[in-house]
Amino acid sequence: MKTIYTIIICFLLVNVTSAQERYLTKNGSVTFFSSAIVEDIKADNNQVLSIIDATSGKMAISILMKSFMFEKALMQEHFNENYVESDKFPKATFKGVIVGFENIKDAETKVEVKGIITIHGKSKEIVIPANIKRTEGSILVNGEFNLLVADYDIEIPGVVAKNIAKKIKVTFEFNHKPYKK
Amino acid sequence: MDKKKIIIAILIIGIIGVFVAYKMYNKPHINVADSKSDITLTADKIINDFSSDESKANTIYLDKIVSVSGEVSELNLEKGKGIITLKTNDDFGSVLCHLSEESTKKMSSLRKGQTISVKGICTGYLLDVILVKCEVIN
Repeated sequence: MKTIYTIIICFLLVNVTSAQERYLTKNGSVTFFSSAIVEDIKADNNQVLSIIDATSGKMAISILMKSFMFEKALMQEHFNENYVESDKFPKATFKGVIVGFENIKDAETKVEVKGIITIHGKSKEIVIPANIKRTEGSILVNGEFNLLVADYDIEIPGVVAKNIAKKIKVTFEFNHKPYKK
Repeated sequence: MDKKKIIIAILIIGIIGVFVAYKMYNKPHINVADSKSDITLTADKIINDFSSDESKANTIYLDKIVSVSGEVSELNLEKGKGIITLKTNDDFGSVLCHLSEESTKKMSSLRKGQTISVKGICTGYLLDVILVKCEVIN
């Protein structure tokens, strides 16, 4: 009888520890795209940190603004110095929760991720549509949404206003793996 | 006669102006391979600087070309781009070096445990210190 208890307790313990599983990626990619009359602007960032707590479906993302790579050096300079002021605000972050995370199975599922996004020191509540696919060893999250430049106190001088769209398309893809210490 | 000269002068200035503007607009990115590094240090030192005082470290390292030496703990390929992880004495953090396309080709000659120097542009600190456009020096 004792051994049975021990085995049951062992199983419970295993469940408890695996229930606190965290999934993480350090190479998540975020791309943004601005389409305006004068020019299209695109920037990639492949160094995004994203963590999912698989028990609660909570998600946290951290992005280095200086890691956005533009096609033209001048665009990158303007982005960092004039628009997002990355010396003052080096990171953009998102903290939120994947709604209905516990029901996600192997198949790709459309979900909403609700949370707070902080860009340029300005926080805003946001609901981001995403596709999630959960398998044995990974949680894949991807999707796209639009951001309004004006929501984050980013001022674009009149001279170049025609070059930059007011609405920026953001595309993201994170392939989380179980976190081992 | 004088009018003609003035017009020609204005035209020349205009052409130079357009040329300069075009050059500025198409200004190339910093070539890491050909640039001298601003700071040379070990992986341990840079992670300690960032984990102890991130905002101070940001003012020192951000946008600088940094050469970091350390032991290779992981070699990964993500979307065709090489990533070298340098081991540090920090429990969680390491130095993540995202290689340039040119250096990615050379990655196959590297082994885990090897001590190397990597030169790249520091973009900041998440859990790890991140360097982009890296070149392997030796």
